Amino acid sequence: MLKVLGQPASINVRKVLWACDEIGIAYEREDWGGATRPTSDPAFLALNPNGLVPVVIDDGLVLRESNTIIRYLANKHGRDDLLPQSAATRAQVEMWMDWQATEFNSSWRYAVQALVRKNPNFQDSDQIDASIKSWAKHVQILDRQLATTGAFVAGSEFSAADIPMGLSVNRWFMTPLDHPTFEAVAAYYERLSHRPAFMKHGRNGVA
Amino acid sequence: MLKIYGRATSYNVQKVMWLVAELGLPHQRIDVGGKFGGLDTPEFLAMNPNGKIPVIDDGGVIVWESNAIVRYLAAKYSLGQWCPADAGQRAQADQWMTWASGELHAGVIGVFWNFFRTKEANRDWALIRTCEQKCVTEYALLERRLTSQPHLSGDHLTMGDIPAAGTLYRYFTMDIQRPNLPNVEAWYQRLSQRPAYREHVMVPYAELKDTL
Repeated sequence: MLKVLGQPASINVRKVLWACDEIGIAYEREDWGGATRPTSDPAFLALNPNGLVPVVIDDGLVLRESNTIIRYLANKHGRDDLLPQSAATRAQVEMWMDWQATEFNSSWRYAVQALVRKNPNFQDSDQIDASIKSWAKHVQILDRQLATTGAFVAGSEFSAADIPMGLSVNRWFMTPLDHPTFEAVAAYYERLSHRPAFMKHGRNGVA
Repeated sequence: MLKIYGRATSYNVQKVMWLVAELGLPHQRIDVGGKFGGLDTPEFLAMNPNGKIPVIDDGGVIVWESNAIVRYLAAKYSLGQWCPADAGQRAQADQWMTWASGELHAGVIGVFWNFFRTKEANRDWALIRTCEQKCVTEYALLERRLTSQPHLSGDHLTMGDIPAAGTLYRYFTMDIQRPNLPNVEAWYQRLSQRPAYREHVMVPYAELKDTL
């Protein structure tokens, strides 16, 4: 059985759990990271020298990096609807996943440390404002894309890209800040909320 | 014909150009970004709403985000070689790409932007030291991986090697402190024997100094 290592409050672990439920993969989860077992444990570092969750073990294959894991699971289980086999349509899904991991994720880092984690090392008000501004700019890019597709990030149907994006949108709404109105993003949040796996692992009260 | 939008001095463009050259794909590269500008025009933003390079137009298929482009080109033109056909091997290549763009990139491209590209008066030395330390940590991981095999992916280069290998020219030629990394250095020497790597990754970057 697929083993998922990582505590369930981690946004990156939640991506993998959502993907598993969406695809219908049975898994067992082990707590690592956060307030649970420290990932500095040599047993964990042997699996991921970066000490980051999630890690999955699938029949001896050890994988890390949440978006990579989502792509692997969709590919292995032949879920062409989530990750098309055609290189051109697959790229449309993958580029939004990469954008989420690099650009979008970097924009909110300071604000989330300050406003959600209440980390005392992240309380510079100028930097908080700059992070919120950058975050909103990225939400606006997503909003325009969703206004174009009218449904999901890579097109009219749900795809693997909606998993990292859905968690990102949940984080946006769950972070206490003055949210500018982005209608397509708000509608997307509600559209995703029809999916039980999103309600369980995404919109579950955690930022 | 395949069009690649982006200046030759951009690390992210270099990843794409290196693979394009390895695959021998007929192409045209168009200079945009940096001193060429052109990232905020309606035409460019219609291709990439994020306003960044590289972007490719492959017969009407528009792809942006450099790693997504590399995976696309490898899957379309080199399935079974640059893109492993086996799901597990493909995922491992993907994993090294994602790692290099997150962790390794934060170190080495962090040093490049905050030290090399930033004027002395504007430099944040605490940030530069953090990026240098990140380099030490992340290149040590590469060093260990390369103990038992010639490339990150194993015996042959795949798409999984491209983002990490693409950083080496800058890391080994910037005027910074580096730990002793014999395996990584030997890898860099092997890669620099490849014409495609020499032409598209080992691109002089002096013109970018003190531009921020």
